[in-house]
Amino acid sequence: MSVSILGSRESGQNIRDTNVRAVQAVANIVKSSLGPNGLDKMLVDEIGDVVISNDGATILRSLEVQHPAAKVLVELSRLQDQEVGDGTTSVVIVAAELLKRANDLVKYKIHPTTIIAGYRLAMKESIQYIKDYLSVKTETLGKDAILNVAKTSLNSKLIGAESDHFANMIVNCVEAVGIVGPNKDVKYPIKSIKVLKCIGLSAKESVHLNGFALMTGRTAQGMPTSIKNARIACLDFNLNKFKLQMGIQVLVNDAKNLEKIRIRELEITKERIQKVLKAGANVVLVTKAIDDFALKYFVEAGAIAVRRVDKKDIRKIAKQCGAEVLITLMNNEGEEVFNESSLGSAEEVTEERLGDNDFIFIKGMKKSSSQTLILRGANEFMLDETERSVHDAICVVKRVLESKSVVVGGGAVETALSIYLDSFARTLGSKEQLAISEFAESLLVIPKTLAINAAQDACDLLAKMKMYHAASQSSSEEKKQEYKYVGLDLANGKVRNNLKAGVLEPTISKIKSLKFATEAAISILRIDDLIELAPKPEKERDGH
Amino acid sequence: MKAANPEKGLANEKQKSIRMTNISAAKAVADTVRTSLGPRGMDKMIKDSKGEVMITNDGATIMKQMEVLHPTAKMLVELSKAQDIEAGDGTTSVVVIAGALLNSCTALLEKGIHPSQISDSFKIAGDHASKILEEMSVKLDLSDTTSLEKIASTSLASKVVSQHSQELAPIAVRAVMSIVSEGDENVDLKNIKVSKKLGGTVDDTELIDGLVFASNHASHAAGGPTRVENPKIALIQFCLSSPKTDMENNIIVQDYTGMDRILREERKYIVNLCKKIVDTGCNVLLIQKSVLRDAMNDLSLHYLAKHRVMVVRDIEREDVDFISRTLGITPIAHVDQFTSNKLGSAKLVEEETVGEGKIVRIKGCSNNSPQGKTASILVRGSNQLVLDEADRSLHDALCVIRSLVKKRALVPGGGAPEMEMSQKLLELSRTLTGAESICVRSFSEALEIVPYTLAENAGLNPINIVTELRNRHTNGDKHAGINVRRGGVSNMMEENVVQPLLVSLSALNLATECVRMILKIDDVVMVR
Repeated sequence: MSVSILGSRESGQNIRDTNVRAVQAVANIVKSSLGPNGLDKMLVDEIGDVVISNDGATILRSLEVQHPAAKVLVELSRLQDQEVGDGTTSVVIVAAELLKRANDLVKYKIHPTTIIAGYRLAMKESIQYIKDYLSVKTETLGKDAILNVAKTSLNSKLIGAESDHFANMIVNCVEAVGIVGPNKDVKYPIKSIKVLKCIGLSAKESVHLNGFALMTGRTAQGMPTSIKNARIACLDFNLNKFKLQMGIQVLVNDAKNLEKIRIRELEITKERIQKVLKAGANVVLVTKAIDDFALKYFVEAGAIAVRRVDKKDIRKIAKQCGAEVLITLMNNEGEEVFNESSLGSAEEVTEERLGDNDFIFIKGMKKSSSQTLILRGANEFMLDETERSVHDAICVVKRVLESKSVVVGGGAVETALSIYLDSFARTLGSKEQLAISEFAESLLVIPKTLAINAAQDACDLLAKMKMYHAASQSSSEEKKQEYKYVGLDLANGKVRNNLKAGVLEPTISKIKSLKFATEAAISILRIDDLIELAPKPEKERDGH
Repeated sequence: MKAANPEKGLANEKQKSIRMTNISAAKAVADTVRTSLGPRGMDKMIKDSKGEVMITNDGATIMKQMEVLHPTAKMLVELSKAQDIEAGDGTTSVVVIAGALLNSCTALLEKGIHPSQISDSFKIAGDHASKILEEMSVKLDLSDTTSLEKIASTSLASKVVSQHSQELAPIAVRAVMSIVSEGDENVDLKNIKVSKKLGGTVDDTELIDGLVFASNHASHAAGGPTRVENPKIALIQFCLSSPKTDMENNIIVQDYTGMDRILREERKYIVNLCKKIVDTGCNVLLIQKSVLRDAMNDLSLHYLAKHRVMVVRDIEREDVDFISRTLGITPIAHVDQFTSNKLGSAKLVEEETVGEGKIVRIKGCSNNSPQGKTASILVRGSNQLVLDEADRSLHDALCVIRSLVKKRALVPGGGAPEMEMSQKLLELSRTLTGAESICVRSFSEALEIVPYTLAENAGLNPINIVTELRNRHTNGDKHAGINVRRGGVSNMMEENVVQPLLVSLSALNLATECVRMILKIDDVVMVR
């Protein structure tokens, strides 16, 4: 007799099969988007919004999968996106392949726990092997290496054709935001890079700007478009007509008083503005609203006022130009004053028109650590995808700059690991051996998919690669050692030394994706029971 | 009552079938969780009625989530809950043992033994078994941290987060030990605050020296400080905003000068409040969440920021007690009581960015308040599923240490105590006669379910393992158990696989009691 519960239950081999099928289905969706020749997906949601993307995490996030095991995979690619920022497709493909092969082993009566132990061991060995033999220090490769890393990441994307242009921009950008930490290690906070999108022109016209840009115009046409030697005030309160708080009533007995109260309401705001302007401010950034009547004071004073600036942006600007973000004008005695010390300065603040939008540029601030990338593109979909690709590339460059270590791309690492694990498995005499060989075999799914997506002969190329890697691992000859960098050349359907060809990826991305994929596969493999409770009928709640 | 005889016969028939239905319903529950027993146990994925997914290995959690329908099945769920409260660990094994005992009852009932007799004999067997357990236990000194850590890692070994047992076990031990003083018979786990924060990995979980606010962060609105060394901390329960009039009352402004006056008065009021606070030397202000009105307004934030006072707002009411105990301060309910002797001190208050959010950390609190000591743990995890499971596992580990404080003795793990009890009870059954002997014998056989299941879940051959264990125990090797790592039988004490006596003891007693209760039920009456 089975337990009677409100809902359905599936256990044992059944649930394992269902889980593997669900996971396989998810992986099959993203499979064709892997690699430089991968194709894009067009996703149309229920409202009719269209997303065109090549990014695994984005595709999976938009899918809204139902199956709980498949959700684990979606979560996995999200995690990879968060921690590394790139390799979101490959991590899903590897995890699905690992699971498929594990399920086959279970059918041969190998207990899941044995497979899990084998997979863990294989993962540890591979990570060690990558660290010891396959990674290359960037110092030995020069600046080109970092450009190449960015290019490798961009090549698989929509903007792959302009990868040179973007790679240059991104590397310059990331290098400029570097901060030397207390232990002399350099950190690259990617938050300091602001990416703005602007429709119009071609992707090639995207520009990199040293400074800060706001995607809004000045509030009134009468304000100047450019101010040299700007004095910036950052206000975090609104400059609307003054309103009394809730719970305070205005009771007017005399009609004359009514007008006076109205005037007073305007004057309170006017006084505030004048205090700010009197202190010498000629650029006023406000996070909230500015009433139209208030604009004339700015126009008269020849100052630029910008309303509805993002709070995060205003804080960054304040930090860099030395201003203070004020939420009220109160001083220690309860009076309203504006001190000159609250002002920041910049060499130039200008408004420029790009495409259909006005931008405010703040250039030459005291401490300029932030960078702005303005992306151009023919349409919105392309811009969105460009932004995602640039984000991926920025993350990758940051990883390489921080960890200073790269591995060779194009399926080289996976093939090398596969050969190594295969021979490692043979040194073990237990059932784990089988699990490790399957792990080795699973890794080959990456070069295989890469070749298939590029319409090349996968078997032929794989065989050649395996030959080179086996040769490099079995002999100590110097020339053959070079063979460990052999990867796919997808454009020509050949194999080549990818270290020389400049196909590089950050080591940390490879290691993390291997770790995450194995962990995800294990956590799904450990499940032997799925209990799905029926949704509660609403009425039952009543009466309690 | 004409046809008394046939009806009585019918009644007997009915009682029997009810007993059997009860037993099989309860057994079905036990079978569900059986596969998650032990270090190589499998996980369950549960999708609840709201559609949220949970992956867990914890018996109590699985049972709680499952929402079984049958009343006796519910008793088993309650059983694992009771074990969770009593010992905090062994929630799966208690259900598995109960299931095995019920299974043996079926055979005994079919032999025609009266249920009360079975129940009484089980009581004898249970009592005897507890004695055996106590005899085989090893005394433990609470100062022996290494042993404690080993026990905590045994408990963690079966969880999803098992690969992090190296990090979590010492944390659990240190947390409990820091709030226990010599001679304590019990530990209030409420004094250990476990906060969860998404991001990072489980490795980053840490025991906090002091306090941590995982869901509050310092107020940034006015650009106040986010790091204060040698802080003077105050916890206030009043608001720093302009006072609100009562519901029905209104302030009436008749003249435009009144507007200015209101503005000025408001500013003055706030400045006065803040001045009083700043004058006492306070530089870190914790403010309790307020429902009625804003706890802070822009004016007070601005003033405090100007005077370099760090502000942490929205402290939950239930946390106030814990915080004041940790910092050794009393919460201040009105500004008039705000005096410098109410301030607490620490080494450092700092806001940190972790993952996507922020936390505030108070380091080096002067933990000398008379009400007792506290500890805080910050659990990290890469996604919500892992985070929740890590939290549950850590709770289990904390409970395990607590049960050691309650009863300072250890028994070996890996099925050794169950095998030993089974062997000793078998000997006992030979000294008895009648139905009692048969029942005790069945009881002893039922206990073998634990080693059997452990072996099965580890992918080993259960028959080989159980027979070898039997052999070893008969030859007096009472610490022999299943070594899951190596896939054989070995001495558990040497392998450092140990668990608290209280966990095994309470599992045994609770399971026996529950089974006896189920046996005694002979009718189910549905009342509408």
